[in-house]
Amino acid sequence: MAGSSDPYDSAAASHRALRSIKQELERHPIVTETRGFPSGEFAEVVADLAIERWGVNSTNPTLTVRWFAGESQDATPEFSFHYSDAERDLGWHYHEQEHVESRGHFQARTGTSAYSYEPYDFPSQNPAALVWDMMSNLSSRI
Amino acid sequence: MTDSAGVEAWKEQTTAFDRIQSVASAVSQPQPASYIASEAHVAENTARDHLKRLVELNVLLKSDREGTTLYAPDPLHTRIQMLRDLLEEHDRDGLIQLKGSLQAQIEDWQDQYDVESPSELRDRAVETETAAQTRDIRKTASDWELVVYRLSIVEDAIENYNTYSEDFQVSA
Repeated sequence: MAGSSDPYDSAAASHRALRSIKQELERHPIVTETRGFPSGEFAEVVADLAIERWGVNSTNPTLTVRWFAGESQDATPEFSFHYSDAERDLGWHYHEQEHVESRGHFQARTGTSAYSYEPYDFPSQNPAALVWDMMSNLSSRI
Repeated sequence: MTDSAGVEAWKEQTTAFDRIQSVASAVSQPQPASYIASEAHVAENTARDHLKRLVELNVLLKSDREGTTLYAPDPLHTRIQMLRDLLEEHDRDGLIQLKGSLQAQIEDWQDQYDVESPSELRDRAVETETAAQTRDIRKTASDWELVVYRLSIVEDAIENYNTYSEDFQVSA
């Protein structure tokens, strides 16, 4: 099938990105289950992780991924890959953040303390390609 | 250039075809084979073969821009996948309940922000006083758009429930 003049639909583009992210997470050996969240809405993808396979133990380790493809076809996407468990709360984000100059940044905190931020250069802006780099970053951080 | 550890793991766990399909299905604007090959860590000639196959399978659409073939996800294919997921997860009553909960979420946002649509809400982002408020409004607007999109597919599934459920049972 050739050709398409469909107008850009940011919700459809974001949803395709989230589906692709969910599919790649399902292929990752550390991921035990994925689901759209909130239930029924599918605004985020949540993955349960078996981090004991990395030799780390914790309670309720989950990765939450958000992706907004942008208001126009040429717009920069906004996204985050955020991990949390009983002790850790950290993630790689790409959006404006007043506490750090760079749109791409890593943020982390302990308990309920304030987040600390540092700039981070994402190696790609394709949702599927990023999943594996973010999982690799996560294994290094925890 | 050496692949990162993440890319190495991706290549170990997937085929070139898997990676091409995932990358191409997630682009937000049509892209040439060279871009998709690079993002999927696949040789460009191999990528072209897989992209051709994905066009034949109606997973991707191809178009031409100044002599370059571009590839993008077929929106109809994505919509059918979503319909299939919904029909696997819900019966007709479940779909009607889901429609109600999505409508209720939209009505909550309309009441909370006193606006009718995600684009009106996004316009409000220029009036906020702090960066955190701006970020929250933009986040809600993008969630709202996703809920509207999902609601349109849930309504499609309800309206055509008998036809779709028979079709999907036959093809399952």
